[in-house]
Amino acid sequence: MLLELNNIFKWVQQGGQRVFLLKDINLKVAEGEFISVMGPSGSGKSTLLNVIGMLDGFNEGEYHFMDESVHTLREKHRAELYKQYIGFVFQAYHLIDELTVYENLEMPLLYKKIKGSERKAMVADMLDRFNIVGKKDLFPTQLSGGQQQLVGVARALISKPKLILADEPTGNLNSKQGQDIMELFKQLNNEGVTIIQVTHSEKNAEYGSRIIQLLDGRKV
Amino acid sequence: MFKTYLKAAWRNMLEKKGESILNIGGLAIGMAAALLIGMWVVSELSFNKEFENYDRIAQVMQSQTFGGEISTNTFQPMQLAPVLRDTYGDYFKQVVTGSFTNAMLLTVGKKKVSRTGNFMEPGITEMLSLKMMQGRRDALNDPGSILLSETTANTLFGNADPMGKVVKIGTTMETQVAGIYEDIPENSEFGNLTFIAPWELLKITANFEERVGWGNNWFQTYVQLEDGADFSTVSNLIKDVKYNNIKNGDDPSSIRTKPVIHLHPMEKWHLYSKFENGVNTGGLIERVWLFGIIGVFILLLACINFMNLSTAKSVKRAKEVGIRKTIGSVKGQLITQFLSEALLLVTMAFAISFVLVLLARPFFNELTGKALVIPWSTPLFWVVCVCFVLTTAIISGSYPAFYLSSFEPAKVLKGTFNRGQGASRLRKGLVVFQFSISIVLIIGTITIFSQIEYVKERPVGYDREQLLYVPITTSGLITHFDTLRDELLESSDIAEVAASDVLVTGTFTTNGGFDWKGKDPNMSEQFNTLRATHGYGEMIDWEIKEGRNFSKEFKSDSLAFIVNETAVKYMGLENPVGEYVQWGDIGNFKIIGVIKDMVTQSPYDEVRPMLFTLHYGDFLNFINIKIGNDSNTKDALAHIESVLQKYDPESLFTYTFFDEEYARNFINEERMAKLASFFSLLAILISCLGIFGLSAFVAEQRSKEIGIRKVLGASVLGLWKMLSKDFILLVALSSCIAVPLGYHYMNEWVQEYSYRIAISWWIFAIAILGALVITLLTVSFQAFKAAVINPIKSLRTE
Repeated sequence: MLLELNNIFKWVQQGGQRVFLLKDINLKVAEGEFISVMGPSGSGKSTLLNVIGMLDGFNEGEYHFMDESVHTLREKHRAELYKQYIGFVFQAYHLIDELTVYENLEMPLLYKKIKGSERKAMVADMLDRFNIVGKKDLFPTQLSGGQQQLVGVARALISKPKLILADEPTGNLNSKQGQDIMELFKQLNNEGVTIIQVTHSEKNAEYGSRIIQLLDGRKV
Repeated sequence: MFKTYLKAAWRNMLEKKGESILNIGGLAIGMAAALLIGMWVVSELSFNKEFENYDRIAQVMQSQTFGGEISTNTFQPMQLAPVLRDTYGDYFKQVVTGSFTNAMLLTVGKKKVSRTGNFMEPGITEMLSLKMMQGRRDALNDPGSILLSETTANTLFGNADPMGKVVKIGTTMETQVAGIYEDIPENSEFGNLTFIAPWELLKITANFEERVGWGNNWFQTYVQLEDGADFSTVSNLIKDVKYNNIKNGDDPSSIRTKPVIHLHPMEKWHLYSKFENGVNTGGLIERVWLFGIIGVFILLLACINFMNLSTAKSVKRAKEVGIRKTIGSVKGQLITQFLSEALLLVTMAFAISFVLVLLARPFFNELTGKALVIPWSTPLFWVVCVCFVLTTAIISGSYPAFYLSSFEPAKVLKGTFNRGQGASRLRKGLVVFQFSISIVLIIGTITIFSQIEYVKERPVGYDREQLLYVPITTSGLITHFDTLRDELLESSDIAEVAASDVLVTGTFTTNGGFDWKGKDPNMSEQFNTLRATHGYGEMIDWEIKEGRNFSKEFKSDSLAFIVNETAVKYMGLENPVGEYVQWGDIGNFKIIGVIKDMVTQSPYDEVRPMLFTLHYGDFLNFINIKIGNDSNTKDALAHIESVLQKYDPESLFTYTFFDEEYARNFINEERMAKLASFFSLLAILISCLGIFGLSAFVAEQRSKEIGIRKVLGASVLGLWKMLSKDFILLVALSSCIAVPLGYHYMNEWVQEYSYRIAISWWIFAIAILGALVITLLTVSFQAFKAAVINPIKSLRTE
């Protein structure tokens, strides 16, 4: 089992009342799964993804990730955990505008303190694999949305994560570009990467092996 | 890693050119100001330090009590040094009597130049460790010798060998060059000692031995302590030397002043020169502190700009922080990143500030009256520079670094990121801080200027227009004074001529030993005195309140005083005219007139009691000449020169108008005023750059709101008001802080002057109004720009 959520609750106080963002979520994800999380706006999809990604905390419940009890970990350990095993892909790509494609890809490796020559090889490999060698010296703003998201996925993959969390990865893309990204995910999944994606589109959800529906913070 | 940080920062900087220029420019100005002030402070602190015996040299001071108040100065009787040498020789390596360093005429063959130098005892060369280029340090033991500085030797002799050549000092003293020393560093008390002649020579020539006693405090005494002796112990030992020597003398009245001798170490000469009631209370050090603090503040203002702009930009940076954190950066790495960005900007600002310093240096030198040098070659200088850059980077970069790196990725990436009230409140606080300082500086500047103006406007009580003086350097001018005067008056351009012992702009000679009817027997009186020839009063047009001027018709006027109003009060006389005053054993003087008080010392001080007497012969030092108000000055000067050259063919003709002489009273204050205004301007400029950037940010941040308001019908004027209001409020708040502070400090400052302004409300009004207007202008630019933009644009971008 890659991760396991047991009775997760998350809420915020608003005007003296508890507003639940997540209610009693139970979820087991095995290695090699491709899960699509669906549901209307405000149903808690992104919150769930953030909790799984350890970017956000929760108020009640237990979270086990690769035999670590996340709910008992200190913030620093949590950060190390997700740094090592999780890659993020965002709807708005979130590339750093001041860095070139090459430098954006290189950044996670720098934070992992990987040596220069090895780093070079890994970035070159990634550029090659995604067919963007010719774009390596361009800045994000000089790329189309699809190309930017390609770089985003490449950046998430470069540190060889076990799990990729994608929050509406195709939300800002046209249908052709979106399809390309989904094909890519499928292929990655076949290679053994676990993927959890949030999506609005039925069609994209179909790429996954399992669909989780959320409504008002509850699994349905 | 570090490289990518800098790369990103560099690109970011290039992309936002305007912002970067503002940021770096502001910092550069602040750093340049801090550097200039720093250099000035260092130069003041290193004054005199180049002397090897810096910590062993002292000047002998004398404190005397007059009318209950102790006054301290450097004047000593010439008998003091021999006693110190003979009786206390164990404590001193050197004891040196000297005159005062003055401009004197040096003649070699036909070449005449005026140079500043002094007559001193031979020990001075060892004391100051003079670096001899030729000759020996002990050369001054021969009373017919002279030592020249390198520059003076070059001026006098050019390439020829000066050794053994004859140099005439003044008009009578012939000396032979016995040595050349390297110029004494300018940044020192002896910087203007461009030649040294033997004290013995002056003593013989002026016949001091015959006529000068313990009561004549005419000279200076310097000492160098023996190793192991310390200043306070020796001071204590010698404190009664003068008292003990005069107590059995023939002038018992002078012990009433209770003279105390003490040492003033060289370390304190420059920065701690002020004595109040016998106690060393400070001096220039206060100004060094003041400007040091101003420098730190200006740098701080610039750092605040940097902080404010960085945290204001945080929305944009927040996203980056979020991304970096999700792909694996920890807080520490982000802090390093932001600090290295700050370091990059600060380093660039430093480079620019260096250029600014080089450009501003001549101007600053003129302002401070110093020759500041940049010590390029000393490693310490570069170490200090690196520390300076690092400190500035840490001050300006650390808050943004901690603030930005603490963003939580889940929040900032979701887009619902709340910009944080905390940071915005802090920004406002910092702006208030900046403007409080700026307003205090403006208040200070205005106060200083109005104090100077007030003193300049002070009625002096005499007429100095077209009045000039010529120093008397040879007895030829005195012995034939009457005929000289007649010849001068032959020209219709000359209105009046009179000689005096001191100048009406500086009657610093004081005398005691007076007695009159009704005097308190315990009073140790002191009067400032001026001795002059007939016609002096008429010439300067003083105002007679009672009695009459000196007149040639009354032979008895040779024993007569004219006194000022303050003297009448000081003596407690009801009907002064006709009263008699006994002056030691000189004579019984009759008061024949009372004049209205004149400003004859520092115009900042109260008028002191003054006695005027008639005098001819020795001790007259100046010929005062009044040129007719309608006369041609050039013709008059030509006439004066031709007459004086006839009586004194050896001297150079030099003259000074009293207007210029009087203006010297203001040099220091005006320098201070100019410096203060210069730095206030910088402070205001930096603060303005700050709010310029901030208002741009606010306008950008509120562009959507502005767009919506416009669509709903808001006018440009209304929007402008809305955007400017916040800043005006901040400045108003700053004023509330600055006014009491400014009042407190400036009130303290004017207390130093007896003749001073009352700090009135309009000074504050002008300062506040000025700050408001400047703020409004700065902010309006951005506000207006934001207000006129087409709302479609700002709404579409969201």
